[in-house]
Order: sequence, then C-alpha cells, then structure tokens
Amino acid sequence: MLGRHGDNLFWMARYLERSENLSRRIQATLHYALSRQNDGEEEWTALVSNHGLGSLFDEKYDDPKTIDIINFLLRDRDNFDSVVSLMSKARNNGRSVRTSLTREVWLSLNESWMKCESALKRPVNIRDLPVILDDIIKGSSSFRGALYGTMLHNDIFNFLRLGTFIERADNTIRTIDTKYHRLLPTAKVIGGSNDQGQWEVMLRSLAAWRSFNWLKKGRLDPLGVANFLIFDERMPRSIKFCYKEVKSNLEDLSNSYNKDYESLGLADEIFTSLNDDRLRNVQEIDLKVFLTEHMAKNNQLSQAIANDFNMN
Amino acid sequence: MSIFDEMLGTDSQKTRQPYEKLMAWLGDQDLKKLYKKSATAEELFRRVGITFNVYGDKKAEERLIPFDLIPRILSANEWRMLERGIIQRVAAINAFLEDIYNGQHILKAGIIPENLIYKNKAFLPQMCGFKPPGGVYTHVVGVDIVRTSENEFFVLEDNARVPSGVSYMLENRSTMQHMFPELFTTHQIKPISNYPKELFKSLALCAENTFSDPNIVVLTPGIYNSAYYEHSFLADEMGVELVQGSDLKIHDGRVMIRTTTGTQNVDVIYRRVDDDFLDPLSFNPNSLLGTPGLFDAYRNGSVILANAPGTGIADDKAVYSYLPEIIKFYTGEKALLNNIPTWRCSEADSLQYVLEHLHELVVKEVHGSGGYGMLVGPAASKQELSAFCRKLKANPGKYIAQPTLALSTVPILTRNGLAPRHVDLRPFVLVSPNTIEVTPGGLTRVALKKGSLIVNSSQGGGTKDTWVIGA
Repeated sequence: MLGRHGDNLFWMARYLERSENLSRRIQATLHYALSRQNDGEEEWTALVSNHGLGSLFDEKYDDPKTIDIINFLLRDRDNFDSVVSLMSKARNNGRSVRTSLTREVWLSLNESWMKCESALKRPVNIRDLPVILDDIIKGSSSFRGALYGTMLHNDIFNFLRLGTFIERADNTIRTIDTKYHRLLPTAKVIGGSNDQGQWEVMLRSLAAWRSFNWLKKGRLDPLGVANFLIFDERMPRSIKFCYKEVKSNLEDLSNSYNKDYESLGLADEIFTSLNDDRLRNVQEIDLKVFLTEHMAKNNQLSQAIANDFNMN
Repeated sequence: MSIFDEMLGTDSQKTRQPYEKLMAWLGDQDLKKLYKKSATAEELFRRVGITFNVYGDKKAEERLIPFDLIPRILSANEWRMLERGIIQRVAAINAFLEDIYNGQHILKAGIIPENLIYKNKAFLPQMCGFKPPGGVYTHVVGVDIVRTSENEFFVLEDNARVPSGVSYMLENRSTMQHMFPELFTTHQIKPISNYPKELFKSLALCAENTFSDPNIVVLTPGIYNSAYYEHSFLADEMGVELVQGSDLKIHDGRVMIRTTTGTQNVDVIYRRVDDDFLDPLSFNPNSLLGTPGLFDAYRNGSVILANAPGTGIADDKAVYSYLPEIIKFYTGEKALLNNIPTWRCSEADSLQYVLEHLHELVVKEVHGSGGYGMLVGPAASKQELSAFCRKLKANPGKYIAQPTLALSTVPILTRNGLAPRHVDLRPFVLVSPNTIEVTPGGLTRVALKKGSLIVNSSQGGGTKDTWVIGA
C-alpha cells in the first residue's frame, strides 16, 4: 500500500469521526437547550469556543443568533471543521483510496456525503435540525457497519481504525476538558439542575448518557462521570477504550508487517498508564494536568503513526 | 439525406433482425415503469460516483454522463466485419509508430510528407531510436466508428494516446443487467466484463521478457481529473495500485513508490496522463503532475509506459487522412474499414474547396478533441460561417474538413416515448506483443438533442449499452 494511501485512509476516518462527534455534540446541546426555559445560549457559545473557532466566528457575525452558530458549525465552508467541510474532506480522501474500499464502504461514504450536501445546501432551520443530525450520525453508523462487515481486517482496515480512535480519544479528552471544573472534588455534588444539565450534555455528546445511567442506577456524581469517561474499558468512547483499540490495531500492523514501531511503544505506554491504580481515583490527580498531558500525547502518537508508516 | 435507423432501417417499415426481440419486449413495457428505471439508473450512477468534472466549469460540480437504457445492438456478422477492420487498422498504427520513430521508411517512400511529421506537435523526437518492450506502442486504443447505412461504416478517428470511456462501457452493461436481467436471458450477448483482467494480462505480456511477476500500477492525474472514476475503477478491477506522479520517485534509475512498509519497484505504468505531464525534465517543464526522470527511466528500459509516449502522431487528424495509405504500406492490404473523405486545409486546392462548401462540411482542429473548436457547417449561422472562414484563411494547416455524414440513429427514451438520435461507437482494443483483441461492442455515444451530430459527453452527449448478439 502507498504511504499516501495510508494517510488518506487514516484521515478519512478521522474526519468522519470528527463530523460524527460534532453532530453528537450539537445534538446534545440542542436537547439541553430545548429542555430549558432560556435557550441555553451559553452552551451554544461554548460550542464555538471549545472548538477553537471563536475568532473566525466573531469575524463573520456581529450579533450572532443561535441559528447562526448552528449554521456556522454545520454548513459554513470557511470553517474547515464544519460538518460539510469535514464530510467533503472525508469523501475526497475516500475518492483517493477508492481502490482500497469495498463497494459497500464506498457507497455508504458517498451516500452520506450526498445526503449531507443536499441537506445543508440551504441555511438550516431549527425545525430540520433533529433529522439532519440523525442522518449524519446514521451515515457514520452505516459506514462502520459496512467496514466491519465487508472489509478484510488487514492493514487498510487498521489505518482506518487508527484514524477513528486517535480522533475519538482526542474528542473525549477535549469534551471532558471543557467541563473539567465541574468534575473536580470542589464542585458541588448533585448541585442545582444546571449542573446536572451540563453533565448530561457531556454524556450525551459521547453517546454515554444511557449507559452511564444504567450502570449507576441514575446516580450522577462528578467523579463517577470522570472515571467512567476516562477509565471504563467497556465504554466505546472512553479514553482507555480508544487506546485499547489503537494499541491492538498497531499490534496487527506490527504483526503483518513484521516490524516494531515507535508508535506501538507509545500507544502501549499510554494504555498501560491508564491501568495504574494511582490514577484510578480521579480525586488524586490534577484533572486539568492529566487532560492537557493526554492531548499532547495523543498528538505525538498521531505523528509517530505518520512517521512509522511513511504517510508523510 | 435519408437517415439509417439501426432499429427500423431507412424506411421505418420493419424492425431490423438484431432488434426483433428487443422490440417485442419494448412492446410489453409500461413506459412509466421505464421512466422510473431510468431514474433508478441515474441514482445508481450518482451513488457509485460514476461522474466526471467538466474542464473550465467554475463550480467544479460533478456531473453524470446521461445513460439511455435502450441498448444499441450489433449482429455477430456486423461485428466480425468491424473487428477484422479494427485489428488491421490498429496493427498498421503500431507498425507506423515503430517506423516513424525508427527508420522512417514511409517518409522515404514519399507516402507521407515529412513536414506532416516533423512539424507536428504530437511527434516526439525523444522517442527516436527507441523500441518499447514487446514492440507495442499503443497498448490500448479506442477507434471511433460511425455508420451511415446497412453496410457502410466509417472510422471517424483513432484514439491512440490515452483513450477513455471503457468504464462507462462496463458500468452500462452491469447497470442493464441489474435493471433488466430478463433481456440477458432472451438475448445471447457477448460478455465484456473480462476487460480489466484482459488489460492486466496484456500489460503483463509486454513486460514478460523484462520483468518476472511485474508490478503494474495505474497513473492518474488525481481526483479532480474528469476521468478519475475510470482510473480508480480500472486499478480496482485489476487489483493494482492507483498512483499519482508525486508518488513515483526515480532511484538509481528505477521507478519506485513509497509504501507503508518501505519502497517498491514499479515495472509497468498504465498511465492516464498525457505525454506533456509525464516528466517535467523531458516534456512540459511547468507540469506539477509529472515525475522528474521518468522518461529517462523509460528509455533505459527499467519501466514500461502504456501507451508509449509519442503515439499521438498516429491519431492526429491530419495523419488520419493518410490511414488508408498507411494500412496499405505496412500490411500490403486494402483498408477494410473506410476513412471519411478528408480535405487537408493545408493544401491549397482543398482549402479552396472547403471555403466554398463550408456550409455543408464539418471542420475540425487537427489537434482538437472532445468536440471542442469544431464547426458543423449545416448547423452554423451565417456569422459563425464567416468567422470560421477567417480562422481557416489565417491558419489553414490547423484544420481538416469532412463531409457531414448522415450518422445512423438508435432510439432513446424521451419524455414522448422512443425517438431516434444519432450515435457513434468506440470499441476498445488491447494490443499485446502477439495479439490484438477487441472487446465485443464498445461504448456507444449518443447525441441527446434531436438532430444533433455531436455525441461528446463534454457537449451533452449520453451513452448506451452496446450488445453484440448471436453466435
């Protein structure tokens, strides 16, 4: 396989995952906003600033309304991280590696793109938002299904999965980071309805609301949430789960290419550090430091993968 | 001018034999259902991404080539005749190329004027004295054929550089099989789905004596090229890598690609990139698409390029007019397929005739393609005619002229039922060291506008599945 194709596969999966994550976050925020008496404005604004898009957004809008934020995140092509921009990049990467994809995987990618492009052709109305977001997320699920069901689980598959889980780990770290102050021991346990709403946004953004409730029988506590999102290996968007997958895909590559890789060492190190009992209790670690460190490590790992497999 | 319809003949009295079963089937169809099928087909093409980009289209939108679901049918006898003529023609083209770049006997014999070759942009002096492995210059050829009556076929032009369209031929067939499986049980249709495997085999045969188990790749200009879908389709079906110029590096005289595990030699490049963009060191120095040093590696025999650079000299429209002589010179036989009578405007007498009869002629640029820059006399306005007169006088050597042929028609499905439209045919030819093979049928291009003679997809033409039926 060409190194460039490895890169195309990796980034195709990253962009898809990013667009799914963004859509879930918007979905969760919408749910939050609709369940409140005010319109949840601060959550919408946080969405833009959390994604580091504040300055671009401020440049474009003098007196932004909620719907402007939504359109900016979904369909603004000047915003490289809008859903349309991400899907378009994912599809172009996919077009470059069509020969590596099964027909079903390609069809699912192309159909998601077509649907997304046509749904976002004109400015979005809040009325259409639930369906549009559902469709984007469904597209991502159908892609995943086609991937698991029809692709050889070989190096092509591994590069796609690496892209997915590197991006997902990054997203989970960043999502916790935006709310970490509410997860610290100093935060009031079971505070007002406002606090609970914030956790709900976070858990829903990571598709973890239902599973968390199920595990904790409805008891929401900040440390429980943090532990769950970082350490619970059963949760497909926890940081630990992501590194378990990254590690296992790098092991597959190492086996099939019969070579040792720096990236595998790094992934193993991160994964093992998450096993450490000392870190088990979030109370004892400085959460902010932990998150900052892991953001950096994740970037380093992404770089190492690119170097190891001649992607650059 | 009476027009020959391939389904109904000239007088529309009786369905021609190859179309009898189809006609009966059509009689049983509900038109509404056919429209629905037509929409389904379009949807399918879009989902699969069988699209093309139009050069110069600002919005750079991906477009579909319209697909018409009424097949175009040739009988086995008609096909046998065409096939023989095509093989003869393509063999002569390869002999001509070898001669032009080695020895130039045909020039010495005075059959073709030297200036036509030496002053031709498509002639590559860099190729002189070099023979490609297996002696094959044009690994893939598309021969464009038109029909004017029951027994009259003409070659409109040869495509010996990087002919495209074969993926449409294959996708059209699989779409038809998907939509109308019953037609394939009632007709004995010659299969075409082997084309990619045959292409692979044919490329491998050219490399047989040079490389054991050759590494073959497809070279594309990239995802924004109008034929990108076809490039990825062929690479996929052949099971080989699809690379871009920037993926290829020359190391110690060998062509290499950088893979996820290291580097790998490349032995055969099925290139879908024009000569000009292959290698900035040997050709267009401004090209960003090419691979510096690729041509040297080629001349040293360390890689095979298919088609060979410089094959354009054989499909140039001015050289085209000499094809009957070229065939005679190399094969000793009379050409089996006719050329369209062609006036070379570079010759004073011809120019005079062309200027006087412009309103009834088709004038084309010698180096043009895709239907760009041509004049269809009978359809042109007075202003267009006089503007073209000036162009011709200013630069006669740039043009050739041909009579306006009454191209045959085949029905298409329109909003008002079936209606005849003009068609041409591009069969695809694979050349390997000892054999020339033509895939039965080819790509039928159809002008969708009533009365129009321009079938090019860039000008709004569509395509049809093409069947060769019977034993």
